[in-house]
Amino acid sequence: MALSFPSTDYFEALKGQMKAAQEKFSRLGFIDTTFAVSVGNNGKAHNYVLEFEVYELKNIDEVPTVDLKKVDFSIEGDERVWREMIENIKRNGQADTAHDINTLTHFGEQLKIVYDDPDGHDKLYRFMESIQEFFDLSSQLEVSFT
Amino acid sequence: MAFYADKDYSEDQEVLGMMNEVMAGNLGLRWYNANTEKIKGKPSNPERGLTYQDLDIGTYGYTDIPEYVRTSQSMVARGSDKSIGKLPDMGYVVNRKSDVWSDNVTELYEESKARRWAPATDIPWGALGEKPVAEPLEAACAQLYTFLQECQLVSLDFPSRWVALINQDFIEQKSFMCAQMLDASRLLEVFRKRALYGGAGMKRASVSAEQCLKEWLWAETYPQGSVSINLALAGLLLNIYRQVAAFAPTTTDRALLGYAMQDSGRWVSYGTGCLRYHLEHQPGQRVSMHEYLDESEHAMLGIIGSPELLEPLIIISGGGFEKDQIKAGRDSVSRFIKLAVQEYFERLDYAGLEGRAHRSRIPHVLERIQVA
Amino acid sequence: MAYLATHDYLEDKSFVDKWLYTMRTGEMDLSWMNAKTEKIKPRPQNARRGLTYRDLDVGSYGFTEVPEKVRDNRSYAPRGAEIPAGVPDAQPWVSRKSESWAFNTESYYEEAVSRQWNATTDIPWEHLEGVELPEATGKALSQLMTFLTEVEMIATDTPAMWLPRLSPDFIEVRAFIASQAMDEARHAEVFRKRALTTGYGLMAASPMNEMALKHLRDADSFSEMSVALHLVAEGNVLTMFRFSEYLSPTDVDKRIFRLVMQDEARHVGYGMQHFKYVLENFPEKREVLHAHLDEAENISFAGAAATEVTESFIILAGGGMKKEQIDAGIKVTTQFNLKQMSEHFERLEKCGMPERKDRSKLYQMFLMGKAAAEAQGIKI
Repeated sequence: MALSFPSTDYFEALKGQMKAAQEKFSRLGFIDTTFAVSVGNNGKAHNYVLEFEVYELKNIDEVPTVDLKKVDFSIEGDERVWREMIENIKRNGQADTAHDINTLTHFGEQLKIVYDDPDGHDKLYRFMESIQEFFDLSSQLEVSFT
Repeated sequence: MAFYADKDYSEDQEVLGMMNEVMAGNLGLRWYNANTEKIKGKPSNPERGLTYQDLDIGTYGYTDIPEYVRTSQSMVARGSDKSIGKLPDMGYVVNRKSDVWSDNVTELYEESKARRWAPATDIPWGALGEKPVAEPLEAACAQLYTFLQECQLVSLDFPSRWVALINQDFIEQKSFMCAQMLDASRLLEVFRKRALYGGAGMKRASVSAEQCLKEWLWAETYPQGSVSINLALAGLLLNIYRQVAAFAPTTTDRALLGYAMQDSGRWVSYGTGCLRYHLEHQPGQRVSMHEYLDESEHAMLGIIGSPELLEPLIIISGGGFEKDQIKAGRDSVSRFIKLAVQEYFERLDYAGLEGRAHRSRIPHVLERIQVA
Repeated sequence: MAYLATHDYLEDKSFVDKWLYTMRTGEMDLSWMNAKTEKIKPRPQNARRGLTYRDLDVGSYGFTEVPEKVRDNRSYAPRGAEIPAGVPDAQPWVSRKSESWAFNTESYYEEAVSRQWNATTDIPWEHLEGVELPEATGKALSQLMTFLTEVEMIATDTPAMWLPRLSPDFIEVRAFIASQAMDEARHAEVFRKRALTTGYGLMAASPMNEMALKHLRDADSFSEMSVALHLVAEGNVLTMFRFSEYLSPTDVDKRIFRLVMQDEARHVGYGMQHFKYVLENFPEKREVLHAHLDEAENISFAGAAATEVTESFIILAGGGMKKEQIDAGIKVTTQFNLKQMSEHFERLEKCGMPERKDRSKLYQMFLMGKAAAEAQGIKI
C-alpha cells in the first residue's frame, strides 16, 4: 500500500529502511542532529521533527509549528518541490544532482533552510551524506501525494 | 641538538643500580599507590561506544580544566600523579583554556573519527571515466581543484604549526587538531586526484589567494588564526563546496564535494565555538579581535576575487562558456558571494562578535556588484 | 600579524575593479586555461585499491620525479601547477628530498587512510562490564596504560612541528605525517580510556621517559627526528605492544594492542625506509645520524630505568606480586628488553648502518644482558 506524503507513516517507513541499512549508515558515521521537515500546501504547512542519534532516526514528531530553538535547522518547501524530489529519487534510485538536498536548498529558492543558530545550520553539512542517504531510502517505498 | 639529557645514563651508577635492583626482584613500587582518583568509566550509550564525554569525570575530565594551566608543562596525562620525579618543560606557549577550547570540541573529535572516508575507494572515480566532462568545462574544473589544493595545503599547516605549542592538558582539543590534519590531507588528496583524473592537467596557482592564505595562516595568536582559518576560510570553502555541488558536472564531483562539506562543516563549527568560548572568557579580546579583522578581512575578497577561483566558478555554475551560460554563472556566483559573506557575519555574531557587518569594509564592496 | 599580504585587497582599486568588471560583463581573463602544465590521464592500476597516489606518479606530477633539491617551488602551489610570479614564500626549512623521503611513502599513507579505526567503537568496551582485575594486575595495567598515553602524543607533536617546515612539493610525506598525527591521537585516546576503565584510574607519570620525549622534540633536522622517533622510540614501543598483546589480561586489551601495533608498524616501516633513503641519497648524513643515535640511545638507558614502567611490566608478565610471579615476570621482561635492543640493531643493519653495533654503548649492554640471560637459561 502506498504511503501518503507528507505523513508520519512516511517517515516511520524511512526509519525502518534506515534501521535495515544499518551497515551503510554506521560506515558513514554518527549522525547527531534534530531537524524539521516542513511541507507547505496552499498556505498550510505539515511539520515533522526528526531526531537522529548515533546511526538511526530515533524519533518522529508531527508538530503544528516548528520551534527553531528546538531544532538544528528546518528544511521548508512547497509540497510540489518535495514531490519532485521524491519522484526523482524513485526513478533513479537516488536523487540526481538537480534534486539532492544541497542543490534544492542552496539559494533557498526551492527548499529553504531556516535556523536560529548558525552552528545548528552547519550540522546540515556535517551530516550531509547521511541525510542525503536517508532521503534516498524513499526509492524503496511506494509513495502517494495528495 | 637543542636538548641533551641531564646525564649520560649509560655511565650513571645510580640509574644502572636502580635497573639492577628491579631486575633482581627488588621492586620499589613508588607508583603502586599513586595519588590519583579511582574511577571505572563506562559507555553511557553502548551503541555510541566509550566517548571522551563519558570520561569527563572528576580530575580526569575536561570540564574541570582550569582557565590557566600553571602546574603542567610536560606531556603528563591529565589527572595522573606527577609527584614521582622532576619533569621536563616542553615549552608550551598556549596554556590558557579559552585560547583554544570550544564546548563542542570533544563531540567534533568523536564525529570526525566516526565519519571518516577514503578518497581512493569512497569516490566513484569510474563515473568520471565513463562520462568525461567536455574539455573547456573540464579545464575549469581542473583550475578550481588546483585552487582548492592551495587552500588545503594552508589548512593542513595551521593545526600542524600550533599543536606542539599547546598544553597537553587540552588533549581532546589537540586530538581534534590531529583529526583536522587528516581531514586537510585527505581533501588535498581528493582534489589532486580529481584535478588530474579529468585529463586537463593541473592549472595555475593563485598569487592573490596565496598571499591572503599566508596572511591568515601566519596570524600571531592561535585565537586569531583560528578565526581566519577555521571560521573564515573553512566557512568560505564550505560555501564553495555547496555551490559547486549544486552545479556539479558529474556524480564524481558531487560525491567528493559531499565529503568535503562534512569535513569543513566540522572545522567551521569548531572555529565558531572556539571564538565564542574565547570571547565569553576573555571579553576584553572583543576589541582586539575586531581590530585584527579590520586588518585581515581583506583576505576574504582577495580569495573570492582571485580569477583562479572566480572564473572557473562562474563557468561551472553556468555550465559552460556560452554567453547565456556565463550570464547564468555570474548570477549564481553573485548570490553565492553574498550568501558566503552573510553566513560569515552570522557566525561571528553568534560567537559574540556582534556588529561586525556594520564595521567591516566588505559589505561596501559587495554593494557594488552588478550583473548585467 | 606575522605576515602581511602584498596588497590590501579591499583597497586595491585595480583588483576590485577587475573583479566587479568580470561580474558585471562576464569578460574573463581565462589565461589560466593556457597554463603550461602537463596533461595526463591517471587511472587506477588496481580497481580494488581505487585511485591511489601511486597511480598519480606520472610525469611532472609524480613523486618519482621530484628532484633531490627543490628549487622551483617555495609557495603553496600544488606540485605540477603553474607557478606565477608573486606567490608568497611558504618558508620551508626542508627542500631536500632525501631529508624527508622514504621508499613507499605514498603506500604508507594510503594504507593509513584505509586502516583508520575508532577507539570509541572498535574496542568492545562492553566486555569490561563486571570485569574486576586483581589489584596487582589492575594497577600494573593502569600504570602501563598511563605511560603509553603519556608518550603517544609526542609522536603527534613532534612530526607535526616538522610538517609545515617541509617543502609543499613533498605532498606524500606531509600526508603520511598527518596520518601519523591522527594515529597517535587515537593511541593516546585508547590508552587513556583503558586506564580510566580499570577501576584504578591513571597512575604515575614517567619523568625519565619524558626526558626522552624532550630530546625528540628538539632534533636539529627531520632525519634526526625521524631516526629518534620512528626508528628508536617507535621501534621500542612496537616491541612493547607485541609483548603487551601477549600479556593482555582481557580480550579487550588484546584487541587494543593488535590495533595499535598495526599503526605502529607502519610508522616504524616509514622510519626504516626513510633511514635507508637518507643513507643512500644523502651519505654525508651518516656521521650526523650516528651522533644523534648516541644521544637517542643514551635516552634508551633512561627508559630502561623508568621503574614505574619496568615494574608494572614485570607484574603483568608474572601475573602478580608473589615472589615466584615476580621471578617469572622478570624472565619475560628480560626477554622483552633484549628483544627490543636486538630488533633496534637489526633495523639499523637492514637500513644500511651495520657499523652501529661497533660504536654503541647500548649494544655493549645488549651483549652483556644477553650473556647474563643465557647464563640463567633465558632464551631470546
